[in-house]
Amino acid sequence: MTWHLTPRQLEAYARGSADDVAVMSAEAHLVHCPACRSALPADEAWLAASWTDLRDLVDRPRRGPLERLLSAVGVSEDKARLLAATPRLYRAWLAATVAVLVCALFAAHTVRGGALLFLYLAPVLPLAGVALAYGRRVDPAHAFTSTTPMGGQRLLFLRSLAVLVPAVALCAGAALLLPSFGPAWAPASWLLPSLTLVAASLALTRWIPLSASSALLAGGWMAALAGAELVRTWNTVHLFGPPAQLFWAVALAALLAAHPLLRTVRA
Amino acid sequence: MKLFRRAKHPPPFDPDGSDAALLAAVADGATGALEALHRRHAPWLRARLRYRSSDPDLVDAALQETFLAVWKNAGSFTARTADGDAAAWFWTIAIRQLISQLRRRANQWIADTDPAPYETIGDASAEDLVLTRVEHGPLGQALDSLSPELRTAIQATVLDGLTVREAAQLLGVPEGTVKTRVMRAKARLREQLV
Repeated sequence: MTWHLTPRQLEAYARGSADDVAVMSAEAHLVHCPACRSALPADEAWLAASWTDLRDLVDRPRRGPLERLLSAVGVSEDKARLLAATPRLYRAWLAATVAVLVCALFAAHTVRGGALLFLYLAPVLPLAGVALAYGRRVDPAHAFTSTTPMGGQRLLFLRSLAVLVPAVALCAGAALLLPSFGPAWAPASWLLPSLTLVAASLALTRWIPLSASSALLAGGWMAALAGAELVRTWNTVHLFGPPAQLFWAVALAALLAAHPLLRTVRA
Repeated sequence: MKLFRRAKHPPPFDPDGSDAALLAAVADGATGALEALHRRHAPWLRARLRYRSSDPDLVDAALQETFLAVWKNAGSFTARTADGDAAAWFWTIAIRQLISQLRRRANQWIADTDPAPYETIGDASAEDLVLTRVEHGPLGQALDSLSPELRTAIQATVLDGLTVREAAQLLGVPEGTVKTRVMRAKARLREQLV
């Protein structure tokens, strides 16, 4: 570059007061001359503010495939982020669930009547996951989230959903690998008890914390099974038989019907 | 848990390095490199855009979109031998974003289409070289004698490197008008210079 813009020309150009010909000349020169570009007077306050705005947009975490999938299905952006981020809270539970299911499958294939063990465990696993999805003890940011408009029942519901879907999917996958036993629908007989227990634990959160309600129901379920096994007067298979399935279905429907009701009563 | 977390360290970069090096760092996700580029290029881009639009909000919005586009497309920048830095590439994006902002404001119900992939325009053509010496030659006086309409038409098509269609959007006149103005301006300049 054989010539450079004078400080006066640069100043006039930056201020917006240069005449048309000077502007054309300055622009043709500036695009090829780093020295003149950096000599151009800059509005530091504007530059800082502009960068702050830009950083807000750029620094956002990149959206994962699950989040994009949820958005494509029509879930709003914030809910997609929430649903995709929830699994980080219960990664340990996810690993534990897989381990338990593998053990149960192993038992089902090696021990006689081992398939029952799977049926006993399957309803408790989603319950444990839901218990870990929301609450003071499990969420490091609970103090913050509970103060946001999103917190409370809405967040609880969304997070539970984010746990329930993978939990049910894992259990269903394991159920497909079970050796054949009983009637054709037997491997799916855990589903209704499981959903009912989850719905009941969510309904109980009106009075007690989620972790307590889940522990109560899971404990109750296991205690009932253990008691029945010890007493031997009543076969635990009845918990999964057709009459019992009807009972679970009615209970689940009642809990779901009562859920929005509880919220409106609360509000 | 640290074991499972993906180690994600942006590569080191020199904030005073060349544009191409900074853009390579931006492509690898270094926000610091983008900040250095923003500091280096935002002021002159803003000054230049303000000669194209008198609405400061529009200019700022276009600038923000420009650097967002840089953030997303940094990998697509290829340095030309003619000029070592990315100024012309930045300007290409900035002027297109300004036109896109103008269009969005003009007809908000029409879905905005992303402009085509950014390729550096305004290569150092013969006309460009003449213009760089505009103040020192007879061209300055010739340009000065043009009416403002003819001058802005020349500015948009020759200096900003826009297509006739983009120039029409920027100037807010029909495409045919831009064509006739450019033809008339060039004829007038030729008359005066030859």
